[in-house]
Amino acid sequence: MEQLLAALFQLFEPTHLAFLFAGTLLGLIVGILPGMGGTSGLALVLPFVFTMEPSHALAMMIGVLAPTTTSDTFPAVLMGVPGTAGSQATVMDGFPLSKKGMAARALSAAFSASLLGGIFGAFILSISIYYAIPIIMAFGFGEQFLLVVLALLMVGALTGDNLFKGIASCFLGLIIGSIGTAPITGDPRYTFNTLYLLEGVPLVVVGLGLFAIPEIVGLLDSKGSIAKSLNTKKGWFTGLKDVVKNWFLVLRCSTLGCLVGALPGLGGTVVDWIAYSHLKQTTKDTSQFGKGDIRGVIAPESANNAKEGGALIPTLIFGIPGSGNKVLLLGGFVLIGIEPGLDMVTTNLDLTYLMIWSLAIANILGAGICMGFSPQISKFTLVPYYILAPVMVCLIFFATFNINRDWYDFIGLLSFGIIGITFKNFGWSRPALLIGFFLSSKVELLSYQTQAVYGLSFLSRPVSIILIILCLATIVLLTKQKFDNNYRSDLIKGKHTQIYYILILLCLPLSMIWFTSSLDYRANLFPISLSVIALSLLVFILIVKIADLKNLPFLNNTLMKFARSNIFEISGNFNNQLFYYLSFIGFLLMNFIFGFPIAAALFINIFILFHNRKAYVSSICISVALMLILWALSSLLTLQFPDGLIGLFIDLPWWLGGQLN
Amino acid sequence: MRKILILILISLFSIVSIGNADVNFAGKTVTWVVPFKEGGGTSRFARFIQPFLKKYLPGNPDVQIMHIPGGGAIKGSNYFEKNAKADGTFIFGCSTSVIVNVATGNPLVKYNLSEYRPVVLLPQNTHWFTRSDLAEPHDLSKIKERKLVLYALKTPASADLFHIWIYEKLGIKGAKPIPGLSSSGGYQAFLRGEIHLSSHGAANYVKKVKPEIEKGKVVDLMTLGIIGADGSVSRNPLAPNAPTFPEMYEKVNGKKLEGDDLEAYYAIGAAWSQASKAMMLPADASDEIVKAYRDAAIKMTNDPEFKAKAVKALGPFPLIIGEEAGEIIKKAAVFSDTTKKQLNAALKKHKFTYRVQ
Repeated sequence: MEQLLAALFQLFEPTHLAFLFAGTLLGLIVGILPGMGGTSGLALVLPFVFTMEPSHALAMMIGVLAPTTTSDTFPAVLMGVPGTAGSQATVMDGFPLSKKGMAARALSAAFSASLLGGIFGAFILSISIYYAIPIIMAFGFGEQFLLVVLALLMVGALTGDNLFKGIASCFLGLIIGSIGTAPITGDPRYTFNTLYLLEGVPLVVVGLGLFAIPEIVGLLDSKGSIAKSLNTKKGWFTGLKDVVKNWFLVLRCSTLGCLVGALPGLGGTVVDWIAYSHLKQTTKDTSQFGKGDIRGVIAPESANNAKEGGALIPTLIFGIPGSGNKVLLLGGFVLIGIEPGLDMVTTNLDLTYLMIWSLAIANILGAGICMGFSPQISKFTLVPYYILAPVMVCLIFFATFNINRDWYDFIGLLSFGIIGITFKNFGWSRPALLIGFFLSSKVELLSYQTQAVYGLSFLSRPVSIILIILCLATIVLLTKQKFDNNYRSDLIKGKHTQIYYILILLCLPLSMIWFTSSLDYRANLFPISLSVIALSLLVFILIVKIADLKNLPFLNNTLMKFARSNIFEISGNFNNQLFYYLSFIGFLLMNFIFGFPIAAALFINIFILFHNRKAYVSSICISVALMLILWALSSLLTLQFPDGLIGLFIDLPWWLGGQLN
Repeated sequence: MRKILILILISLFSIVSIGNADVNFAGKTVTWVVPFKEGGGTSRFARFIQPFLKKYLPGNPDVQIMHIPGGGAIKGSNYFEKNAKADGTFIFGCSTSVIVNVATGNPLVKYNLSEYRPVVLLPQNTHWFTRSDLAEPHDLSKIKERKLVLYALKTPASADLFHIWIYEKLGIKGAKPIPGLSSSGGYQAFLRGEIHLSSHGAANYVKKVKPEIEKGKVVDLMTLGIIGADGSVSRNPLAPNAPTFPEMYEKVNGKKLEGDDLEAYYAIGAAWSQASKAMMLPADASDEIVKAYRDAAIKMTNDPEFKAKAVKALGPFPLIIGEEAGEIIKKAAVFSDTTKKQLNAALKKHKFTYRVQ
């Protein structure tokens, strides 16, 4: 109790509050940008937090994470596009409300529901911390192993549009995660004798590549500004009243959000739909749903913000992330030297409480800012994407370089960028890939550790049995929702590309088997078993896809119908996206030649002018502002930016790529 | 009184100016290369020393810490070897893992650590302990009878390798490493009752293990021991009743620790304990520069602010400054063939493919 209050006072120190506030602002912005969510936001700040004190870094990271599910309501309501995966259900009724001219009512209801949900989540988290020690003590290697495996399966089963593609994504992530030094023997696996791959690709690179780049490319492809028109003037009070009137719904959905969030692996992406279907099941008059019922906004918004508190429980006490953004949060823990587990509820309890308070206050701040400055913030959705995109690309490159100050990271970023783009377009699960990647070494080590301590007997321990039952039940319950009867195979174009894509994916497990087969069995058992499973899954998906293409009759029984559901994805304009992606490679080449600051200024100007010749005023202003910021950062933090070849020939100040000292 | 004070000040000042007649860092920036991430132990060590260094180096240069993590500390260490200037504007943050990379002959190492000029060494010490239901305090006999004695081992290509040797020499036949377990993860598993032997450095011992000992759940077994300049080994003040490794060795084997075993112990102790963290100058730094740095370090240890904060930030063991430090680094970085043979035999016995080169 003392520590709980001490943490609160600590948080109210000006510096803490400033970091929390900065994080919250950034979180609000990434929440508004459609598609960009907490994962991309955290990936952007992570390369910088590790120079900070742990408590500052935590305040900042939580600040980024908490308000994304609040501000993502802007695009959901105003444009009918979810700002993050967690607000997909909000669109169902939020957008119709906005079309009826009740955008302000929908927004204020959503923000206040988010706020209440968020605080409820923080409250539940602080209570569960008290009971964490016996839980941690009851979870030995065997139970942890099961927990991780079940978490992975759940993510795979629930985040993909198609069950099998989701699980296959998971295994591909596990395989990529096993690249690097084998933990038991120290043998290099799949490294091609490079020092870079020996350590594995940095998590932030994977996160930014998989999430940020595809979203930027996708939004560039969708063209134009984000929102068409704004009408957010009247109806704020009505929205508040709606929430007060539906307080019981808020409470139920927050509880639901917290519970679902706390199930490791389930995390963010389904909770809004669960809340929405709960609402439908418990309401008598469902006629207005989908046409603009305010309860359809309140339910998912309270749930998706409450889940943050719930999802922190397994993250803090087991180090098992529930969703993509928790993976990055755990990555941040490593950077600032915090290890999840027993320490979080004993010696580092003050930091845990600091996080809980940060979560609560960031929620209040976030919702407060969203309501107070709503007209201004919603203008953000009017900024044309061709102006935002190059700035974001520069930001991503900047963040990437700051991880290790290593040029190879850019290659990693662009490689995972193309993986992300293809995954998104062809309907594979990016969260599953990321979580698989992150948990890979943990799965491998836990399997050895479990074997060493228990053998197979761990399966008969009581906690294990409970876990298995819990997981099976969840999957059975939730996959029902996945069964998409509306899947219309004949409407999808470009199926051949998606079939060829599997052939490319097959190369990964095949080459992994090829390159590791000569190693000691303790080094290759794990990647080879994973590869064999991945191969079988991929081949199965390939068969279903071909059968779907040719419309073969054996797909008509129930089981195969299930496998066929969403086997192809309605992809966006893939070629257009590739074109934009190539411009990023162009940017990388400019970096090689000119160094980062000059290349960034050039890139921003070229990119904006390419889209709109008349926008030279904004392009010049933005690039000048960027240069100023870079200059200030370099002198404040002694940051050195990527220097280009040009520095060898021309005498430049060191922050532009000249010689140090 | 005031006159005396002024006199002291003047004499101090003159000593400083005579001692470093031609070394002055005024207006310069000293770059401290730390081959680890921000936030790690070596980084914290550097950050703690940083302001004192600026205060006491002649000319009060700015000291900036440059973190170059990666490749198990090899990337940053190689960077230092390649880029460091010998004029005192580059210093190196070394730690046990940097030393072990050299001592175990990692082929990627391109830095000539044993020739570096150490300024300050910060010793550490390892504590071993077990659950109170498995053994009496300071007594291994029950542990030795067990068929299976599990312990945590992150990777054999690190200082954890020494655990294998230690348990081998104490004749714990059932000892079996559980791979990939960090010391903190290992301690959790130990508290859950999944592994039997555990160890911690001094800081975590005080913070995490002491409370459990007071509750009666955990008992001390031994410490690595504090190795003096003359080779004598004394007990660790944090656990004064616990025997040191040489004492335990004698009790178990019935003979004094000597010969090849003693040599290996000194090498391991130097790398693991005495040179746990270190600040070093490049191999070709001149004697004047080394002296300027060592003088600054000695003044630092007399600084009241340093005295007030050092025990909490760095631990209870006094810094090692001077020629003695160079001897320790040489001992730690260059393992003799017999020591290597001993380590490899222990590795082989536990079916590790990794070998010390």
